[in-house]
Amino acid sequence: MTVAPLFELQGISKEFPGIKALDDVSLEIRAGEVHMLVGENGAGKSTLMKVLCGAYRADRGSFFHNGKQVAISDPAAAREFGIAVIFQDFTLVPYLDIAQNIFLGRELSGRVPGLIDRRGIYTEARRVLDMIGFDVNPRTLVHRLGVAQQQMVEIAKALSQQARILVMDEPTAALSEREIERLFAIVARLKQSGVAIIYISHRLSEVFALGDRITVLRDGRKIASLLPGATTADQLVTLMVGRSVDSTYSRPSRPAPGEVVLDVRNLAGPSGLAGITLNVRAGEIVGLSGLVGSGRTEVARAIFGADRAITGEIRLFGERTGGSAEDSVRRGMALIPENRKTQGLALARSVGDNIVLAGLRRLFPSGMFLPARAMKAARSIIEKLRIATPTPRRPVATLSGGNQQKVVLGKWLNAGARFFIFDEPTRGIDVGAKAEIFRLLDGLVHNGAAVLMISSEQIEIVRICDRAYVMRDKRIVGELSGNELTEANIVRLGTHQ
Amino acid sequence: MSMPSLAQLPMSVARVPGVAIVLVVLSAIFALTSPGFASPANIANILTQSTILLLLALPMTVIIMTEGLDLSMGAVLTFASIVLAITVLASGSPVLGFFAALAVGSCFGLANGLLIAVLDIPPFITTLGTLGVAQGLSLLATDGQSVVGIPRSIENIYSGALAGIPLPVIIAAIAYCGTHALLYHTRFGTYVFALGGNREALKMAGISVRGVLIRAYVLGGLMAGFAALLMTARLNSAHPTAGIGMEFDAIAAVAVGGTSFERGNGWLLGTLLGVVAVGVLRNGLNLLAVRSSAQVACIGALVIIALFIDGLRAEP
Amino acid sequence: MLARPRLALSRDVAQAAYRLLAAALLCAMLAMLSDVFLTTSNIFNVLRQTSLLFLMASGLTLVILTAGLDLSVGANIGLSACLAATAIKGADSPMLGVATGIGCGALIGLANGILVTALRIPSFIATYGVMWMLAGMTYYYMAGDTIHGFPPGFRQLGSGYLLGVPMPVYVMLVFLLIGTLFAQRTTWGQQIYAIGANPVAARLSGVPVERRLILVYTVSGAMAGLASLIVLARINSAQGDIGEDLTLPAIAAVLVGGTSLFGGYGTVAGTLIGALILTLVLNGMNLLQINSSWQPLVTGVIILLAVWIDNRTRRIGE
Repeated sequence: MTVAPLFELQGISKEFPGIKALDDVSLEIRAGEVHMLVGENGAGKSTLMKVLCGAYRADRGSFFHNGKQVAISDPAAAREFGIAVIFQDFTLVPYLDIAQNIFLGRELSGRVPGLIDRRGIYTEARRVLDMIGFDVNPRTLVHRLGVAQQQMVEIAKALSQQARILVMDEPTAALSEREIERLFAIVARLKQSGVAIIYISHRLSEVFALGDRITVLRDGRKIASLLPGATTADQLVTLMVGRSVDSTYSRPSRPAPGEVVLDVRNLAGPSGLAGITLNVRAGEIVGLSGLVGSGRTEVARAIFGADRAITGEIRLFGERTGGSAEDSVRRGMALIPENRKTQGLALARSVGDNIVLAGLRRLFPSGMFLPARAMKAARSIIEKLRIATPTPRRPVATLSGGNQQKVVLGKWLNAGARFFIFDEPTRGIDVGAKAEIFRLLDGLVHNGAAVLMISSEQIEIVRICDRAYVMRDKRIVGELSGNELTEANIVRLGTHQ
Repeated sequence: MSMPSLAQLPMSVARVPGVAIVLVVLSAIFALTSPGFASPANIANILTQSTILLLLALPMTVIIMTEGLDLSMGAVLTFASIVLAITVLASGSPVLGFFAALAVGSCFGLANGLLIAVLDIPPFITTLGTLGVAQGLSLLATDGQSVVGIPRSIENIYSGALAGIPLPVIIAAIAYCGTHALLYHTRFGTYVFALGGNREALKMAGISVRGVLIRAYVLGGLMAGFAALLMTARLNSAHPTAGIGMEFDAIAAVAVGGTSFERGNGWLLGTLLGVVAVGVLRNGLNLLAVRSSAQVACIGALVIIALFIDGLRAEP
Repeated sequence: MLARPRLALSRDVAQAAYRLLAAALLCAMLAMLSDVFLTTSNIFNVLRQTSLLFLMASGLTLVILTAGLDLSVGANIGLSACLAATAIKGADSPMLGVATGIGCGALIGLANGILVTALRIPSFIATYGVMWMLAGMTYYYMAGDTIHGFPPGFRQLGSGYLLGVPMPVYVMLVFLLIGTLFAQRTTWGQQIYAIGANPVAARLSGVPVERRLILVYTVSGAMAGLASLIVLARINSAQGDIGEDLTLPAIAAVLVGGTSLFGGYGTVAGTLIGALILTLVLNGMNLLQINSSWQPLVTGVIILLAVWIDNRTRRIGE
């Protein structure tokens, strides 16, 4: 007789305006089991976990606790079932101590009405910390702890709430080898005591080392649920990535690359980047791949001048850059950032205003701004990129994700940029629009521009780029081109295998 | 598996250099330049006169920790003192007057809290508005004149002493202990830290952010009402411009004392030292016959320096 | 194929129309309530006050467009006026006075700009501290004295007439033109709107954010300096407390004029209408013989209302 799983999600669906985040996903959670949840960015892992912990409400689907149907209407209800989630950005208060953070919102009452029993909190905290073998004074202020230690506090917090299901979202993203070992030991301990653990990770080595079961999500759907012994890393990657690229796209033949446009040597920065050396030539699309946290966005920002305090040489068209975004733009550099809504667009302003912003100096060298000329320039870009908007005057917030991305690109075309850095260009864009973006990229390099493309989707890199650098732990660990440019090689270089 | 246990640096060790240095340096300068500065009588004077400011700076610390600001405190203090005086004169009962002042202060605090927490209006604009309202009411109620004829019983509150310690100092000490208990030993206090440090954490824990905010500003109004008692006692009258600008001294004291404006990092003892520092500054400048207007400029400079240092100290 | 742009009223124009309507209604109401309202002297009074308020608030509009705040405008006027007065009397030169006033105002604005960009102090705190410092400095400098009696040529600026209309109105119109041209017809203006709408995206689009912020604070200060000259010319004297009670109405004028505290939305012309509305309200209160002590209170309430409405409309728009 099979025992019902500790917790089960069945047929969960969740839609946001314009995008289906989860489509009929089911998940079995068993006590004492480490259940790995894998998938590319945007596959729906975080959304599913938010539904599980009550932060989101599913549009459709049901929950079962020990075989009985239940409802999760809000975070409090989820807590009742012992569900605790540790997200990537911790919810810790920096200037409170460990014990206070553990008990935030559940403080024990003291003898005097209205006061907290502080001594009791410390004793309790000490007990929970011992459970995970974390030997630290509970009176330590959290802001003094390193990331790994803060994570332990989060785990202690979950345990203190009698968590029976612990969700960990990319827990090793910012940890060192030693700290990872320590975390694994804690996970083992929790497993033994019967806690069910849902572990979200990009690192396939971890998935196989720790996992008792693996569920793969892709584009909001559950693709497979496997035992680690029954599969391989390559197969997982194939399942994770699938054929999400519109098959109508195929890379056109490109002319031989021209002169070196971007030349970076020994770039290093406070975020941990070191020894970054790469180049991009005219007519090339060069990929920059690697796992989340490998430092790709930092490299992009450093090259563009968005982050200061970096050392090393950056040359654009042969000349050293000044180190500021303004200078880079003037020289013809463009950055299409990862998060277009917060970094690439002024949402409240119109499409036309956004398109014209980076090219103001170029369009109006005298400083006088003529709305008619700006409109004309905006319209020409809108037509060229086929941006779907009735008029340039619409606020850019009303456009779809794909069209917003085109506006960001249009901004740089208008500015006469010749070197483009794309950071996750197709994130949050549906499959149909992705192909169009790729064709636009082709168009850019066909006209002699140079493109550096950051992407977490290995299939994209392989399909679109002429060659690719692979990053790991804030360093470049390899360069792939020609026949060597395969998904497997990217994954191999990018993980600890 | 064991980790080296972290020697926890008490926050005070990292902070003492800042405000204490300021205090020591200022005291040294004034002691050297004015013979009367270091006399016991003058020191007692400084402490007594700082008590009103402390009553304002304590809740201001709490408010600033919630990433807010209360610019209306001085005006509310003034209006509360006027209400107190008028009530006492009309009813003959100091106690009634005192409660009237507390009520007035709390009302303004509640108004601030509601506007900020419920209507989402930024704190500095809200309290700028309520400042105007309180100021207007003060002028209207008094027609620009002082309210005099305060009974002895009230005046004694400022000039009296208990076992040789001036009453205001005792009152201030009680207020300090009360705020300390509130901040470090109650849920409310814990949530205040959370509001400034990581609002998300509070929401995830299911605590109402609005409730905490409203209570913080009500506390501010209440203490302003309380301070009105001391101020009326000290001036032996109530004047529509008496407390104007005291919120600036209070903010200066909190800033110099090391509380950050944006990180939920609050230190009550630092505020106490900051209040004394401001008191020392004003007293010393008085002895040097520097006019009150220039004193304000000096305090302004002090605040900017304190903010700059705070910015330097912020972890990247 | 893109649709031909329709001649529909844009949001800006519609909002301005509503506000003008409100102003017109106010006028009608006041005309009915008081027979003094429509007299020549009162109308000129309103025009002068509006001009003054507008001049103060015009530079402030630019600051608020970047999602900042300048609480020191009033105190700025105070110090600039006193220094300018000294220059006029001392050197017997109105020109020197004008230069001093505007120069002092600009310097103060520059200091604000540096505090906000280089020292990264939030603008409302930085300008709040500067406000107190300036007030202190002004009182200290004047030491309770008054400077009065300026040359008639200078006084024309504030109390003179040209073609039957008070001079300050012309100054106001000139700066309305300059301000609108700057905000809507220069690349700097477009960049300022972008900074207010999304400073991160602006920077990543190559906008020199720090330089533009310093520019707006300096301009705000310079306009305060200019306003101080009008004040001097009008009341023909200078004393320590000139600048008091001027900051709140300036902020109110900007907010009532439709500029959003959160940045990125608003116009200089809107501020003019806001200044007009506010002046009408205060003028009306005077005519109805309402105690002047109510004025800061009413101004405060108006500010709160304006911010609340701004909050609500932003929510609907998003």
